[in-house]
Amino acid sequence: MNSDSISRRKALQQVAMLLGGAISAPTLAGVLRADTRRAWAPSPQWAPRTLSPAQLELVATVADHIIPQTDAPGARSAGVHRFVDTLLSDHYSTEERDRFLAGLGDLDARAQSAQGKTFIACTPEQQVALLTAMDEAAYPPVRIDAARPPETWFFRRMKEVTLVGYYTSEVGASRELRVNPMGMYRGDIPFPASGGREWS
Amino acid sequence: MTSYDAIVIGSGITGGWAAKELTEKGLRTLVIERGRNVVHRKDYITEHKPTWELPLRNARLAVGSKGAEEYPIQARTNQFRESNKHFFANDHKHPYIEEKPFTWIQGDQVGGKSLIWGRQVYRWSDLDFEANLRDGHGVDWPIRYGDVAPWYSYVERFIGVSGEKLGLPQLPDGEFQPPMELNAGEKLVKAGIERAFPDRHVTIGRVAILTQPLHGRLPCHYCGPCERGCSTGSYFSSQSSTLPAAQATGRLTILPNSIVHSVLYDADKNRVTGVRVVDTNTKATREYYARVVFVCGSALGTARVLLNSTSSRFPNGLANSSGVLGHYLMDHHFVVGARGRIDGLLDRYYQGNRPNGIYIPRFRNLGDDASRREYLRGFGYQGGAGREGWGRGGSEAGLGVELKRRLQEPGTWSIGMTAFGECLPREDNFAALSDQTDEFGIPVLRIHCTWGDNELAMRKDMAASAAEMLEAAGVKDVRSYDAYQEGGLGAEPGLGIHEMGTARMGRDPKTSVLNAHNQAHDVPNLFVTDGACMASSSCVNPSITYMALTARACDYAVAQLKRGNI
Repeated sequence: MNSDSISRRKALQQVAMLLGGAISAPTLAGVLRADTRRAWAPSPQWAPRTLSPAQLELVATVADHIIPQTDAPGARSAGVHRFVDTLLSDHYSTEERDRFLAGLGDLDARAQSAQGKTFIACTPEQQVALLTAMDEAAYPPVRIDAARPPETWFFRRMKEVTLVGYYTSEVGASRELRVNPMGMYRGDIPFPASGGREWS
Repeated sequence: MTSYDAIVIGSGITGGWAAKELTEKGLRTLVIERGRNVVHRKDYITEHKPTWELPLRNARLAVGSKGAEEYPIQARTNQFRESNKHFFANDHKHPYIEEKPFTWIQGDQVGGKSLIWGRQVYRWSDLDFEANLRDGHGVDWPIRYGDVAPWYSYVERFIGVSGEKLGLPQLPDGEFQPPMELNAGEKLVKAGIERAFPDRHVTIGRVAILTQPLHGRLPCHYCGPCERGCSTGSYFSSQSSTLPAAQATGRLTILPNSIVHSVLYDADKNRVTGVRVVDTNTKATREYYARVVFVCGSALGTARVLLNSTSSRFPNGLANSSGVLGHYLMDHHFVVGARGRIDGLLDRYYQGNRPNGIYIPRFRNLGDDASRREYLRGFGYQGGAGREGWGRGGSEAGLGVELKRRLQEPGTWSIGMTAFGECLPREDNFAALSDQTDEFGIPVLRIHCTWGDNELAMRKDMAASAAEMLEAAGVKDVRSYDAYQEGGLGAEPGLGIHEMGTARMGRDPKTSVLNAHNQAHDVPNLFVTDGACMASSSCVNPSITYMALTARACDYAVAQLKRGNI
């Protein structure tokens, strides 16, 4: 047993809160009516408020590599890039927003340095290779409470917002995973009883 | 109409109870609430909304983030989120001065904090009521468990409490509906802790959430986020329970958007006669009159109203001949405990969002030698186990199809628990009026409150004992934590949202504000029944004790009115 440092613990708490940590009750509930679904579909007039069209495409591309299409749609179909623009516009402090936007710029710089072209201009294989290298640098095989390399902040944040955006989307929550049904509580059931999927 | 039999200041947990009891006993009652009206069901605007319908996906609105600009204090609590920020007070509208870090979480609506409370309800015992007498801190309570026990039962039968009976003297059993179930991880840890420590107990939380129908309210449907409001009335709130009961008598009037400036006092008769309020929309001042006034404005709100009610007889605040009004402010200290990983049980899961966790009753300083420690009083733990969700992907390497497949199944089990510790009553922890006023012309409070040596000594045991129990139960990778930072935020007073003790009960009018019936020693038709009345803090969640004391005080007040004594 040891005591976490305050700053480390706070950082972990923030991640846990952002991601809906393991212990906190999932907040999804409810059976959707058709009109509610229609009302929430992205409108054709939607336009980003913080991201440029090029940045929006960059976010959508990276997110879709993190959570790609399988038998269920991936991050792009789930609108993760629209969620990221909303976060940047309506939630992040100016410093946090600028740090994220700088990270997008840095991603292009990495692509330029490795492939001599922008990230979007790279082939999907080249893009995945770049992201895989960033992922390995961001999550070195160490204890979970050890400090993460600060230069990997952007990738970790990008991955986190992709997961939040995807698994709290309708498709992520109800097609990829399963919405925890309302009605009763059963505290101790066999795992496959949830349809073999995690509750979103 | 401006004249009533009774005026109740505040519509939260105790104001609602006072409204119910007084109207049911025949009094035409005016409930005055500074905040806006919140109508049961209709105004639960985020209830059952899927997360994807919330633009920020129910983000925690932390201090400094957009969305929290108007809430620099409220945003300090983890409870403050996109989905329920409308049930917290705007800090610019209701400011106060922190002389030391003190987080004052405030409701600002009909129902008050009953809409967002934690719903954990535990009876006090004589270990608590006798604590001040035994160790000399604070003044002796003028009541004992036997005085309150029937009122606990009365309250439990009305609000509905689910839980498990344990037969422990330090945590008396109540009138319980069937308990909610533990999950597999909690069962495993319970068995391990109780095997290693035969004098300790792990039980499901006792909560004011129904597991059976009661008085037209439905049992919990386990949607999860109670703090958005509950249309089935499955958890106790003023809206779901007490205010409808009061309304049904035909004798209730609720006046929202009206902040009480002061209580009116007639020195010749030595009686309060009513209240002066400021309309929060128009800023107009009005007066209302009654034969008896119940102050239920939350511990700090109540202190503020009384301190601002001055007269030649009471230049330092109404019913404050003792001079202790505003002092002996307390809260529970927490955000200290331990967590770890439970290996195995990968074939076990759960269904439904249980709005409850585990509870470990106090096991220190119970009066015997074995449980005695070098500090005074004690603590209990609240916590819970669960399987990691998709969020774990944000702290693990991997991306693409492999990551997505991995996150389809729940991760390992983990368990965490945080202690809630008793705080000693200290004269130098206080709230007083400052020389600044709010937009309604009412002086704002300056609050001075710190944890003392006893709390800090207790915290070491709170962290160490949590880790010790988890390790004994076979939990892996156990880490203790303590968020307290001297002079900083993290586990500062107030954050427990159990603030209490500014107008304490006592036997001696020279050292206390209220008598054994929550009646002001100085002014017989003035009652205070919220957390302000507390002479000590115990370590258990306080709300049900406030409710029981309110019902008991109403019974006494109406009897006194009928006899013409007040």
